[in-house]
Amino acid sequence: MTTAHPSNFGSTVWQMTLMGLRYLRGRKLRTVLTTLAIVFGVAMIFAINLILPSMQEAFAQTMTSVTGADLTVTSVSGESFDPEAVLPTVSGIDQVGAVTGILHRQFSLPTLGNSSLGDTAQIDLVGIDPATIEDVHQFVVSDGRFLEPGDSGKALLPAGIAELAPELHVGTTFPLITAGGLKIYNVVGLMAEQGDLSSPQIYVTLADAQAAFNQPGLINTVEVSLAPGADRDAVAANIQQALGDSYTLDQGDSSSNTLAAMQVGLAMFDVLGLLALFLGAFLIFNTFRTVVVERRHDLGMLRAVGATRQQITLLIVIESLIQGLIGTAIGLLVGYLMALGMITAFGQIASNFFHRGDLSLQFSLPGLLGAAAIGLATALIAGYLPARTAGRTAPLEALRPSTPANLMHAARWSLIGGAVVMILGVLLLLTGKQGAAGGAILFLMGMVVAAPGLVIPVARLISPLLSLGFAREGDIARGNLVRQPGRAAITGSTLMIGLATLVMIAALVLSFAALINSLADANFSSDLILLPQSIAVYDTVVGADENLANRVRALPEVQDVGTMRYASSVTADGQALQVMGINPDDYSKVASFTVNEGTPEEAFAALGSDRNALFTAIALSTVGLQVGDDFVLQTAEGPQTYHVAGVANDLFTFKIAAIFISQANLAADFHKTEDVMLLINLVPGADKDAALANMQNILTDYPQFTAHLTGEYKQELADVTSGALVAFYGVAFLILIPAALGLLNTLTINILERTREIGVVRAVGGSRKQVRRIVTAEALLLGLFGAAMGVLSGVAMSYGFIAAFGTVGWDMPYFFPLAGIIAAVVVGVLLALFAAVLPARNAARLDIIRALQYE
Amino acid sequence: MSIVRTESLTKVYGDVGQPIPAVHDVDLTVDEGEFVAIMGPSGSGKSTLLYLLGGLDKPTSGKVWLRDSDIDALDDDALSRLRRNQVGFVFQFFNLIPVLTAQENVAIPLILDGMPRARALKQADEALARVGLADRATHRPTELSGGQQQRVALARALVTKPSVILADEPTGNLDSRSSDDVVQMLRRAVDDWKQTLVLVTHDSRVAAFADRIVFLKDGKIVDDNRLKGKGNADQIREQLSKMVLS
Repeated sequence: MTTAHPSNFGSTVWQMTLMGLRYLRGRKLRTVLTTLAIVFGVAMIFAINLILPSMQEAFAQTMTSVTGADLTVTSVSGESFDPEAVLPTVSGIDQVGAVTGILHRQFSLPTLGNSSLGDTAQIDLVGIDPATIEDVHQFVVSDGRFLEPGDSGKALLPAGIAELAPELHVGTTFPLITAGGLKIYNVVGLMAEQGDLSSPQIYVTLADAQAAFNQPGLINTVEVSLAPGADRDAVAANIQQALGDSYTLDQGDSSSNTLAAMQVGLAMFDVLGLLALFLGAFLIFNTFRTVVVERRHDLGMLRAVGATRQQITLLIVIESLIQGLIGTAIGLLVGYLMALGMITAFGQIASNFFHRGDLSLQFSLPGLLGAAAIGLATALIAGYLPARTAGRTAPLEALRPSTPANLMHAARWSLIGGAVVMILGVLLLLTGKQGAAGGAILFLMGMVVAAPGLVIPVARLISPLLSLGFAREGDIARGNLVRQPGRAAITGSTLMIGLATLVMIAALVLSFAALINSLADANFSSDLILLPQSIAVYDTVVGADENLANRVRALPEVQDVGTMRYASSVTADGQALQVMGINPDDYSKVASFTVNEGTPEEAFAALGSDRNALFTAIALSTVGLQVGDDFVLQTAEGPQTYHVAGVANDLFTFKIAAIFISQANLAADFHKTEDVMLLINLVPGADKDAALANMQNILTDYPQFTAHLTGEYKQELADVTSGALVAFYGVAFLILIPAALGLLNTLTINILERTREIGVVRAVGGSRKQVRRIVTAEALLLGLFGAAMGVLSGVAMSYGFIAAFGTVGWDMPYFFPLAGIIAAVVVGVLLALFAAVLPARNAARLDIIRALQYE
Repeated sequence: MSIVRTESLTKVYGDVGQPIPAVHDVDLTVDEGEFVAIMGPSGSGKSTLLYLLGGLDKPTSGKVWLRDSDIDALDDDALSRLRRNQVGFVFQFFNLIPVLTAQENVAIPLILDGMPRARALKQADEALARVGLADRATHRPTELSGGQQQRVALARALVTKPSVILADEPTGNLDSRSSDDVVQMLRRAVDDWKQTLVLVTHDSRVAAFADRIVFLKDGKIVDDNRLKGKGNADQIREQLSKMVLS
């Protein structure tokens, strides 16, 4: 573009920004409503971005190595090994200075009973060999002394512990959970180092740590210092070669199924945030399309005095960008507050379930910029199309009354196009599980495309219903609605997405609850259950040695005890698997599996021999194996070949990649003999409460466990599940907020546009009440239109997503969400009525004379 | 020297099957410094003719030259620049942008042209002073009377020192006193500021201020009078009513 003052493009832009701001201020309510959707979407996405790194860090901390040695060696499986297999080999390698073996584990401290270390929620218990550790890593003791060979029950604490447990000094004692029961430690020294307060490192002798984890003679980390001037990479390569690929250098164990599960959960919120922005885009699009029509005189005037098409487009784009900027800025702020709230809530849940409360917000510039960019881009894209239309405004528009366009033709094409997309979606839904979710989305999109063409037939279909309550006003309302099928369609679409989400969540909740219940019934046949500090994150659990199970077995009320053990592992190609160890004979008496083929008895029987493994459905799809395949598992004894004997799920493992093997194999290959869960059946007729009391008595030595009556626990679980699912309903209602805004927006615009007509209706004798009823009827039509579309696509989406969950191993029964459908229709109608209140009142209150003169 | 010149200018509205000619085969030349009033009954095509002269509308056939430019040969951007720099418009309705102050409304063609804002606003102040509204610079259109609004519009038309000012019923929506103010201002634009002015009106009292009156009927020029002496309103009214009745 060449102008007489090309260097002063900024002058024009600045003037347009001023104009944009004034136009926005001139329609405050609409600006606020339109902006809210952007606020909402940006807030959601930003909040997730603030929380996710913190979550990742919290879980990653669990896995990081212990000290600042030059090199560390761990087993690929993450489990412990015999120091003789590694230490001599490593120390024999050229340029290696010193080596030392360590056994450490991060674990949560139980919240029940006396907390042994003040406010400390989690510690890293590090067993070191005092004779060799200082060759690798220098410790500065600020008070007391360092550990000495032969120490027992002695501990060295970081200086920072004083903040968490001020009462601890050199010479005081504290109890700590171990696999052998509570053990008292004596503080012999404090280190100068402040340490990581989210998980303080407590140093004890190697022997003490081995006792605490019931792993005599084993270590899980080798620390290596290099000779002066050594080539670190070369030494690392030599060590790797000497040890083979069962060991890994410098890499913490990255297996964290919990993290993956959390990420999936948080990704859901991201999807909801994007949905909200999608709605926001609709709202902005709708608003600006109307703005362009309303302002055609101004735009035409600008064109008449010499504005080019691009300049007009720029004006509208700037205006939508201003809205995007404001919405994004507020959204970032709200997102920050939301994240604070979520951290608090998650912290609660996390500390309840995993005994972890150390989550914090983490700012990341890419996260901030990403959320901001998405918000701005939404506004920009949504504003651009109307802006282009505005650019095409003929200068003469300024001088003519409004020009009614024939929209029927376009509506017909959109109906045809949308129907084609919808049919494709349905076909995809029906053909198979893999594409089902895509089919559902396609169906939804088809619906959006077809919406303008659906307005007229659907309105015609519904209006007899409407005339029951609005005999006189129904026809006018219908006429008003179909006059702008595009606008009605967009409003209907926003409502549709909100209501479809509601229907889908209702179906998912039903199906998920049914799945949980059926698993709970199948798995919890025992009378009592002893649960560890955290379920499903067994990495951070200190279990119990056989003494606990034996003491429980010795109780007069107890008939059978089955235990569960745990080890971490990876497959040959690096897929993390949780390995659960059960003793099939004992376990089958107290629990059952949900099996895909055969019977649970056959599944249990298979575990009794050889290296057989039962996979959860998720594990099987994760590693891409079939029943009957052999596969290599990295164990603490190097790679071992296991056999896929079947598919089995239980309540605790159905959503994680886990396998079941026998405890004999777990001990031999993974060196793990701690029980992390105990399931107990009582003698028939035994007093359950007496048994529970006895059990709790034993557990005073093992406060890492809590005893539950299975029935009560099931109830508790059901409560927690429904609590979590209620939160999902909350999210669905959040999505409905922008939809309600869309309704309000459209009704307000429609009335503004028809001010003069309303004046005419009033002038020829229409009462205020009738005007109000016309607007209400129009809102109802819109609400029912959105509800009808929402129910259809909601059913498609729920079917698609439940089928898609099936492909990752969550085979849920499909429940037709009848209640959700009824709720969606009711909510749609209520929203419409609610949104109509204000515009209807405004319309009814219009001054007749001024309305007639309105332009 | 001619500022505006048309040759067989024709504009047909409507469908191919039902053509409605609005302007038919018009040859018109407006010289520099001339004040031309175009008159005619409703539907005679006078506004359409004005829009064609200003490049707001495209002719069906024929040509319009503004100074040396053949308007038909210009693309949309060039046409926009032409309206911005060569033409000043004053309309009957919707003349001003409601969210802009009087000063900004006047400055908008300059700002659209990329002139630094401060300079554009200063020039706008000068133009406002010419139409006697220096003290209303910061008012919004809604805070001004109808006559004041039209004077702001006139200031906007003057500010770019255009080749021609095109006014479409500028007094059509005003009471008689405001109307007189505006017309006198238009007259001054020609006399004192050496502007060329083409004005469409059906008000003979307004047309009486012009140097020349062109009568239009059914899209054709039916009469073209140079007025000698001013204020010959009765003569014009008589001619007009004759035309309407014929």
